[in-house]
Amino acid sequence: MSKIVKTKNQISIPSCLDYLKDVDEFVEERLKKTGLSESELADVAISVTEAVTNAIVHGNKSDEHKQVEITLEIKDPDVVIWVKDQGGGFDPGSVPSPVEKDNVLKKVGRGIFILKSLMDDVDFKFRSEGGTLVKMVKHLKPAKKS
Amino acid sequence: MKLSFSDVNGVMVLSPRGKIMGGPDATQMHDQLHEFINQGKKKVVIDLAKVDWMNSTGLGILISGLTTMRNSQGELKLANVTEKIQSLLTITKLITVFDCYDSVEEAVQSFK
Repeated sequence: MSKIVKTKNQISIPSCLDYLKDVDEFVEERLKKTGLSESELADVAISVTEAVTNAIVHGNKSDEHKQVEITLEIKDPDVVIWVKDQGGGFDPGSVPSPVEKDNVLKKVGRGIFILKSLMDDVDFKFRSEGGTLVKMVKHLKPAKKS
Repeated sequence: MKLSFSDVNGVMVLSPRGKIMGGPDATQMHDQLHEFINQGKKKVVIDLAKVDWMNSTGLGILISGLTTMRNSQGELKLANVTEKIQSLLTITKLITVFDCYDSVEEAVQSFK
């Protein structure tokens, strides 16, 4: 059976939403000393849960034998996060706009929209060996001089 | 997320705490609202003061709660919406859908 695997900058989880809190704890713990404000840290944490939820549900179709891998790179002036699944890939452009009048009250379909709103840069790559790789970037703002 | 509730003059005040991100969070809120409906309690305020943040699943939970209450001729309102959640409600245009109040007292009062 698959399980959680952690290294210094990477966590890999089985495709089950119950593990989202483990990913969030990992990400917030690793990023709290980067200089991100509380609000920016929340933006990153929310965005990671969006990307991981997509990877679990739409990528790996909640198959717990498939893993979702989250990798952090703190490279001043950026925090870069990759989320990789083992699924068949999906077209993020095919998701209808959640702010269109007919979609506002839908229960789902806002994840990518929120992710793109909160992060400075987001890129989706479809890997030739299968799966989707989402790259998200948040710029670290220079510390204010006192 | 941890969930508690209280009865304030016949209005059920649901108080989630922590982060609302999916997994077990979705069913917890849904089950509690259905319990209220089964007890004939159809005026609900969700107090968001102690919610650090929520993602799109959390927003879906709020929408689901709103439609569940309205389908049962009830109503659901929000109180103490934090800055972070307010910005998510704004960018997703959900701010136009929910009645939001600055305090639980004001939200409870609005039912009268």
